[in-house]
Amino acid sequence: MASTEIYRYLSVNNHHYALDPEDYLVDMTQWSPQIAEALAREEGIELTEEHWEVLRVLRDFYARYEMAPAMRPLVKAVGKALGPNKGRSIHLMRLFPGSPAKVAARLAGLPKPTHCL
Amino acid sequence: MHEHEDPLRDLLVILRHAPHGSSWLKEGLDAALVAAAFGQRVSLLFMGEGVTALMPGQGPGALEQKGTAATLEMLEMYDIETLLVDAQALSALGLSADELMLDVDPVSAEALAEALAAHRLVLTF
Amino acid sequence: MLLHVVNRSPANSRVFEQALTAMGPDDVLLLIEDGVQGALPQLVRYYAQIEGRLFALREDLGARGLLGRCAESVQVVDVDGFVTLTEEAERTVSWY
Repeated sequence: MASTEIYRYLSVNNHHYALDPEDYLVDMTQWSPQIAEALAREEGIELTEEHWEVLRVLRDFYARYEMAPAMRPLVKAVGKALGPNKGRSIHLMRLFPGSPAKVAARLAGLPKPTHCL
Repeated sequence: MHEHEDPLRDLLVILRHAPHGSSWLKEGLDAALVAAAFGQRVSLLFMGEGVTALMPGQGPGALEQKGTAATLEMLEMYDIETLLVDAQALSALGLSADELMLDVDPVSAEALAEALAAHRLVLTF
Repeated sequence: MLLHVVNRSPANSRVFEQALTAMGPDDVLLLIEDGVQGALPQLVRYYAQIEGRLFALREDLGARGLLGRCAESVQVVDVDGFVTLTEEAERTVSWY
């Protein structure tokens, strides 16, 4: 879950956005594509259309289910929306290295996934 | 993690509390989702007033607290597809399975005992 | 065989009905904590359908001054007996 504790601020176009200690947005409603790009840059990721389509799947998932998905349901949701070739963990690991469910949720402006440790 | 021919499923979560009244239902669903996220084969059993978690048309609480209906919709994304409902509990509330928000299997008392025996772990919430 | 454990009194909770509904023909039921009130002759009728498979925990009866007031059909076990039941059962299911 996104915590309400402010740890630092992310600067985008002279605006400052509060991030929690794990770099999730404190106020989800502030999210914009520019914020996603700034967070991605810090992560060393250049966002391509392949990234964006996954972030859109995540935002749709959250709009529908009110939770950010763990890895397995994320893989399933991506597969349903973008086809079986992309609904694979290896694809998501390549786009969002490390912990794809957490990194992608963060860039998509969602709270931290509840059901992965 | 498990043999495919193993007739036992991993986890049965029994949900016996209504939405909004307490956090029991939420906690039970959380336990089921965590287990499913780790690849366990999970089934749910709704008993007692827990069957009201399946009412169609639920909304947020009086103070706009989130309910559990969206989480129930999400179960299929976690591959939780075995949803059992105590048939007695349904009829005690004047409900029938076909008016609920998800596809569920109503089960008799005899079948309930078999369901419990068919899981490696049973958790009651 | 599954071991079901009930810790509420049938006098003010219907949790016992859920346990009975879920019990298979070989399953046994152990009453603990406030659940041991169900072993009293006046309340044991709620468990008539599992006669011979009903246990109550000695320590919890004793603490409540109910030892020696149980219905004859109830088998009283101490904590060691509880452990043995747990070991004999394939698994334990708690109703609270």
